[in-house]
Amino acid sequence: MSAEDKETEERLVRELQAGKKEVFDEIANLYQRKIYSLSFNLTRNQMDAQDITQDVLLTIFKKIDTFQGKSAFSSWVYRITLNASYMKLRSRKKEQYVSLDDALPSFNGAGFQKEKIRDWSESTESALFVSETREVIERAVEQLPEKEKVVFLLRDVDGLSTEKVGEILDLSVPAVKSRLHRARLFLRKKLSNYFDEYYSRVEQK
Amino acid sequence: MVCCKECIELLNDYLDGELDPKIATSLEEHFQDCPPCIAFLNTYKSTTKLCRETLKQVEIPEMVQVKLQEFLKHNIRKP
Ligand SMILES: [Zn+2]
Repeated sequence: MSAEDKETEERLVRELQAGKKEVFDEIANLYQRKIYSLSFNLTRNQMDAQDITQDVLLTIFKKIDTFQGKSAFSSWVYRITLNASYMKLRSRKKEQYVSLDDALPSFNGAGFQKEKIRDWSESTESALFVSETREVIERAVEQLPEKEKVVFLLRDVDGLSTEKVGEILDLSVPAVKSRLHRARLFLRKKLSNYFDEYYSRVEQK
Repeated sequence: MVCCKECIELLNDYLDGELDPKIATSLEEHFQDCPPCIAFLNTYKSTTKLCRETLKQVEIPEMVQVKLQEFLKHNIRKP
């Protein structure tokens, strides 16, 4: 966020706190897509994401007085969004999360890789794979445990800095990094499985 | 000499440019002699890029946008 945007945001927050309700529209415009996109990626459900976005906007409006400016306003909004999303997810049937340890690469006793590693990094540019890799990614993200999922969505998808993610989740920088790394390893493994399968099918023909 | 396991553990910091320069160099030396780790590095980077491109495209659907506007009108803009 540019310094100018930050200033605008701070002004809007101050005005809303002072009772100038008409500025809320601007705040809603600044944040509703971020709120919707994060809650959609967490719930993968349009109705839920809509409910959550409404809840979050209403909470911002009603609780603006409790925002004390100790952390950035955006961090406050992200935290409200995460809480609302978790409430929604908790009301659902428990999903089955997988163990991320299975996605760790395997090494021999000397710490060298045992598996053959296919380099599919060039393939991702091809339109051939777009819809299938999308499916693989969506399914894999759904399987990520909450702790890793949220770090991955904030850092890699929303592009927030490691420090910012730490502030939102109240985690240390090394903790953010280790969760992110585990998430990426898991997603990489799922994509690798997909490309391995694809190429072995092609090579058999 | 670092092994593959150490290389992969440090990938995140390496890509963020946050490793001690000496350690970064030894990682790079390892990559030169280890095609599996190069493949791992490339696909690790691609994973992040591909996931971002795939999941970042979430837009508020028009239907939802309309509902949100209505919601705001009724719950917040009340005179
Ligand atoms: Zn290696």
